[in-house]
Amino acid sequence: MKSDQRGNSGAGLTRRAFLSAAGAVALVPSIGLAATAAAPAIPVNRRRMIQMNGYAIDAETPLDALITYLTPNDLFFVRHHWNPMYPGAKTWALTVDGEVETPLQLTLADLKRMPKTTATCVLQCAGNGRSLHKPRVPGVQWKYGAVGNARWGGVRVADILKQAGLKATARHLHTFGWDKPPGKVPPFHRSIEMEKVLADAMVAYEMNGEPLHQLHGAPARLVVPGWAGDHWMKWLVRISPQVEPQKGFYMDVAYRYPNNPGEPGVAFKPEEMHPVTELFVKSNITQVPATARVGAPVLINGFAFSGAPDIGSVEVTDDDGATWKPAHLSSEHDPYAWRLWSFTYRPSAPGRVRLAARATDSRGSVQPKEAVWNQSGYLYNGWHAVEIEVSA
Amino acid sequence: MSRSAGFAMLAVLAFIGAALIGPPETAAAKSSKKKKTTTAPVNFDKNLPVLGTKLSGLPDGPSKALADKACLECHSADMMWQQRLTEKQWTATVTKMVGWGSDVPDDKKGALIAYLVENFGPDNDKFQPVITRPVGR
Repeated sequence: MKSDQRGNSGAGLTRRAFLSAAGAVALVPSIGLAATAAAPAIPVNRRRMIQMNGYAIDAETPLDALITYLTPNDLFFVRHHWNPMYPGAKTWALTVDGEVETPLQLTLADLKRMPKTTATCVLQCAGNGRSLHKPRVPGVQWKYGAVGNARWGGVRVADILKQAGLKATARHLHTFGWDKPPGKVPPFHRSIEMEKVLADAMVAYEMNGEPLHQLHGAPARLVVPGWAGDHWMKWLVRISPQVEPQKGFYMDVAYRYPNNPGEPGVAFKPEEMHPVTELFVKSNITQVPATARVGAPVLINGFAFSGAPDIGSVEVTDDDGATWKPAHLSSEHDPYAWRLWSFTYRPSAPGRVRLAARATDSRGSVQPKEAVWNQSGYLYNGWHAVEIEVSA
Repeated sequence: MSRSAGFAMLAVLAFIGAALIGPPETAAAKSSKKKKTTTAPVNFDKNLPVLGTKLSGLPDGPSKALADKACLECHSADMMWQQRLTEKQWTATVTKMVGWGSDVPDDKKGALIAYLVENFGPDNDKFQPVITRPVGR
């Protein structure tokens, strides 16, 4: 890579850009005390992160810390495509153009003067669970913890587009972030069907009651309830309703999922796939004892979520799916949020027991034993199994 | 960019990463200046490194210097340690990265791919992710 090709990108920061970025540090708040207060149930020794990439920073949450309805901000997974170059809150503005009567430039103060909305819902990286695909595929080898549930606060995109005078010709919202790729790497651009945008998408500037942190997309990011994280554009700077979907590498090649299952290990052609959109029904086991005794009950905990608004049931098997027993779902819920669940297991015989959980969502979709293999490793949702050593 | 300049950039990146997500004492100190409230309890293991500050290096080998230069400008070595890819997958990955600006001379591409397959092939189980403090701590 030649230095003159890097421009103002994150990875190839010029000395001046470095100093600028370093100067901005003083303005960056650390994640505040509210997040700490919101997480009394997570023991101190579990309050840690798993760094998957030192730079650009990627980090997932250990499963045993994902035990609260709201995932604390400081334990929420972090994903970057490239090295950081963050917009400053004072100079940041959101451009609204495209199929609108009146293009807008909205500052953070402008957004905060608009009617505020909140939504509690799951954010999951499209590649969460990539390392569980067999055969292996390239990319960040996420296991279980590139997911969390948070209360997002901001402005409905529908309200912003109404203010701009959305034209009836608009079918797709093109979205743009502030981060700039290094070298000749294509920019990360996405588009979202207008029906979904107008239904519940949000430009969020708060996360669990705190200002959004830079690592989570400050000053504002998109929230697209029920859809994978690639749609939740961080450091959002422009939204543009258009007639056609956006084009480019991250629409036409990456973030695509097979139309039909194929042979594991055999790559699909782009035309055999479609853009990743909704999350798949999925449950994970977060707390389970390593050992148990015959007849003595043990408590298993977990969470379940889907691209559907709610979870209908979670079941647990100790015989590889021959029989299932229902778990108890927590009453705490919002549309597209996760359900915490618990299950009391009473071992009947000594030996090594393999427990697996599966969820069924409110539309009737059942979590499969095996996820559909795809060459980019998106949307893994096979059963999550754990083992317990049972003694007499 | 020279190799030394590349490493200097990494050091600056690590510094910025640490500063961006700063230590908890900074937040507590700012808070006490404003409200004179009690110091926030440290609710994590302070012995853990700050996210983005502990970086691994690439394994020794004839193509290490090239890999340092061609790969580590955009991502840390973690990204490579965690891969378990076939020669075909590494070839496709290197071809993609070269297309995106990674500087790999044509006559050294084969050796680089061999180095990647040898160290990060399908049987690679050596990746040990760094356990860090919570985000922003």
